[in-house]
Amino acid sequence: MADGGENGAISEAEAALYDRQIRLWGLDAQRRLRASSVLIAGLKGLGAEVAKNIVLSGVKAVTLLDHQQVTEEDFSSQFLVSRADLGKNRAEASQERTQNLNPNVKVTADTEDVKDKPNEFFTKFNVVCLTCCSQQTLRRVGHVCHDNGVKFYAGNVHGYCGYMFADLGEHDYVEEKPKIVKADKEKGEEDKEGPAGKKAKVDTTETVMVKKTASYCRWQESQTVDWTSDASSKAMKRTPQMYFIMKVLLRFREDHGRDPAVSSREEDKVALLRLRDDVLTEMKLKTDLVGDEFASQCFAALSPVCAVVGGVLAQEIVKAVSGKDAPLNNFFFFNGTDDSGMVDCIGKS
Amino acid sequence: MVCPISGSFASIMAALPSTLVSPTRDFVENSKVLVVGAGGIGCELLKNLVLTNFKYIEVIDLDTIDVSNLNRQFLFQKQHVGKSKAQVAKESALRFNPDCNIIAYHDSITNPDYGVNFFKKFTLVLNALDNRAARNHVNRMCLAADVPLVESGTAGYLGQVTVIKKGLTECYECEPKPPQKTYPGCTIRNTPSEPIHCIVWAKYLFNQLFGEEDADQDVSPDTEDPELAGEAGERAVQQEAGENAIGGGIQRTSTRAWAVSTGYDAAKLFHKLFHDDVKYLLSMEKLWQKRRPPTPLDWNNLPEENGTAETDSNTRIQDQQLWSIRRCAAVFRDSIEQLKEQLAARGDGAELVWDKDDEASMDFVTCAANIRAHIFGIPTKTRFDIKSMAGNIIPAIATTNAVIAGLIVMEALKILSGNINKCKTVFLNRQPNPRKKLLVPCKLVPPNPKCYVCSAKPEVSVQLNINTVTVKTLEDKIIKGQFGMVAPDVEIDDGKGTILISSEEGETEANNSKHLSEFGIRSGSRLRADDFLQNYELVINVIHVDQLEEDKEFEVVGQMPEPGPQPDTPQPSTSTNGPTEPQPGTSKDVEEEDLMIIEDEEEDKAPSSKATTGVKRKTSDSSDQPVTKKVRTAAAEVAEEDDIIPL
Ligand SMILES: [Zn+2]
Repeated sequence: MADGGENGAISEAEAALYDRQIRLWGLDAQRRLRASSVLIAGLKGLGAEVAKNIVLSGVKAVTLLDHQQVTEEDFSSQFLVSRADLGKNRAEASQERTQNLNPNVKVTADTEDVKDKPNEFFTKFNVVCLTCCSQQTLRRVGHVCHDNGVKFYAGNVHGYCGYMFADLGEHDYVEEKPKIVKADKEKGEEDKEGPAGKKAKVDTTETVMVKKTASYCRWQESQTVDWTSDASSKAMKRTPQMYFIMKVLLRFREDHGRDPAVSSREEDKVALLRLRDDVLTEMKLKTDLVGDEFASQCFAALSPVCAVVGGVLAQEIVKAVSGKDAPLNNFFFFNGTDDSGMVDCIGKS
Repeated sequence: MVCPISGSFASIMAALPSTLVSPTRDFVENSKVLVVGAGGIGCELLKNLVLTNFKYIEVIDLDTIDVSNLNRQFLFQKQHVGKSKAQVAKESALRFNPDCNIIAYHDSITNPDYGVNFFKKFTLVLNALDNRAARNHVNRMCLAADVPLVESGTAGYLGQVTVIKKGLTECYECEPKPPQKTYPGCTIRNTPSEPIHCIVWAKYLFNQLFGEEDADQDVSPDTEDPELAGEAGERAVQQEAGENAIGGGIQRTSTRAWAVSTGYDAAKLFHKLFHDDVKYLLSMEKLWQKRRPPTPLDWNNLPEENGTAETDSNTRIQDQQLWSIRRCAAVFRDSIEQLKEQLAARGDGAELVWDKDDEASMDFVTCAANIRAHIFGIPTKTRFDIKSMAGNIIPAIATTNAVIAGLIVMEALKILSGNINKCKTVFLNRQPNPRKKLLVPCKLVPPNPKCYVCSAKPEVSVQLNINTVTVKTLEDKIIKGQFGMVAPDVEIDDGKGTILISSEEGETEANNSKHLSEFGIRSGSRLRADDFLQNYELVINVIHVDQLEEDKEFEVVGQMPEPGPQPDTPQPSTSTNGPTEPQPGTSKDVEEEDLMIIEDEEEDKAPSSKATTGVKRKTSDSSDQPVTKKVRTAAAEVAEEDDIIPL
């Protein structure tokens, strides 16, 4: 967390631009934000929301990585591309609008496939956020980041539901707590002739910083929980159903090389239900753990769902790079059909 | 590329792949929605709506774009500063989906042009406001037009969304909101003990010198301080005061007239305010028996302490450096000079309105508050912190607004597809609650049968002193301030229909300064207040009392909220830079930048509803207590910008 060297001081223009957020998280957090660079892989609806929020917050640099082309499906959630960009590379098409959000941030587009990127590529960033990636890529990049102190995030949105995952390794942060000091009114008497003493009244609006550490498991550990152990099977009752739906959707992506598509809605529904049975059975769980409704609600990406998941995910990135406030550990699941937004720690023994 | 209201073009667009399926998809495309507010929540909301393929959208916002909006109101860029938020938001949103129809109004939603018939055009109204007054108004309009309303607010990391439907749910005003925090006059004028007391005093002083003079904003020593009871009488005090003292309830020469007569001479003003008036206060010995007495300052011999150390000043932005008293005095001189010029530039009889974003106005309040704080041994504050407190700034960030705007559309989709019964009040918390919920959905609450807005025959009782409360106070503070009417007509239910207040300009001005008793109003009298625009009539039962606690002018009986925010409630903000929490000012401090209704800058604002409201809500799962109940508390007060919260 370098302080940005000669660029360490926040200029008056930046102070004016970021005024409202500096009033929330403080100048030091803003300075750390400004020294960090972020990789966002996958520029569909969720990637666009995260990119918008992170660029607005004032980080140093954002790299948009996506090897795919803009499709019609993007028009219902990806606001960084225009209708005229149909068929163009999604990262390149998103660059201009992303840059326009904040000229202080260096925005770069990269059109290569994330799976072809060497391990060293990811260690150049302070934060890596993967969307639209396969289990294999998530595993590999998750390990690289965990082993190299890079903050790692993964997320996806499917129709009405979405999730995010965080692996911050061993993460140090501070929490601000109010410091209440009793005012001592009696002292005033003795001070009569003295200079306006500080004794007379103590400011009760001061705060103190408390240092804490949180530890995270790797992506892989979050995916290989043994649900048959006593502890896990107990915890399972309180585990959001969305976790299991996520596993099914990742398996669909692995098997089909794509996500469930509107154009093949009916076939994909059937495939999803079959995969649900397979995945749960492999985990030695009952197949009725996840009802059938999910299979008709996970197509394309609903813009407001991207906004909710992308808002939470981006705020977690801000927390992580600023080292301020307790980050969520380690999953956030959102289900738009019932407004539930749950946080659960899965995979940490 | 504007899409026709109906016809073939729509069917082409239907080919775009979407998560939504019929009939929800058709309900969305055929709906007409009104977005009230194009600030922090409004920008995010417009994006979500056009991407979700809402086709007919109208958006209204009174505000213009400021540079401090750009960190989150992402439809705006630097080149748009100063332009209409509604208009620029419309243009930016159309780029995301050129097939939408959007109508933008750069106007206040309380303007009579937007009456019940205007509201009836819409399938749904979505609030993205930041102040309570506008929220109250839209609430009434939606009740009158019987259109469902999705209400929202954010403050820092916290946010909330709820749904209001006449007859089915609580309305925005079913739960009384806690009153805005005010400070007793004698604390402000005689015995400040906290920075906020000095800041309120400095804002009053600004108005006394340059703004609208208000008898409730006197800044001079108050000889009627209840603590002085039994003191040898005012006369003795007055004699000690010396010739220079103009305040103290002695001579009623106005501060303004005196300041003008000196040509706004900074040294003379300083001497009166920070030396003579302080000496005068010292003469009220009773006040200082248990307090540290204030220390008068001499313009020609100012202390040089208390400023930010040199070493620290390099790493702080200017506004976060602490000024020495000497520097405060220099700024006092310079800002008075600038304000005097501003006043002169506006011609005879002009007044300035305090604005936290006006450099000279903000400088003046900063230095005046700090000089006074120094005199009373209260810690001084940076300009940055004083701006938060004086401007009731509620911090705002993009991410919270994005989440809340997403949730607004999720509720809207349920309403449009006929599932309003599945709608929830949803709170965004800072940390998950013990049941793992970061977003906490709670069941909607049925209407309060005693609500003075949405019940069948709204009626309230108000305690006041009929011999001291004027018609003007009744109109401004009670009918408009407390009961949220915009253009009321008020008559006495005395069989004759005596008209007390008319919404027609000029008709009842002559009544303004008269006391209620002069019209035959007695304890037990009934007043009928009617707002034609809001289609809202309220019966007010007057209960006479000689005196209310804490100098209050009136009190609503039976509906009062619990006292202010609870100490452990989550506050919208804290920062390393000191107090960033919105500090309540007086009710006059509330700014409504927007149009709408929340509070921000702001976010402005303050606690609105009772701190206990959250407790009363039934959660879908009975053990969930929304952690965010404080949000409301925090938000209610104020509001400035847009993104506000407090419902
Ligand atoms: Zn009501």
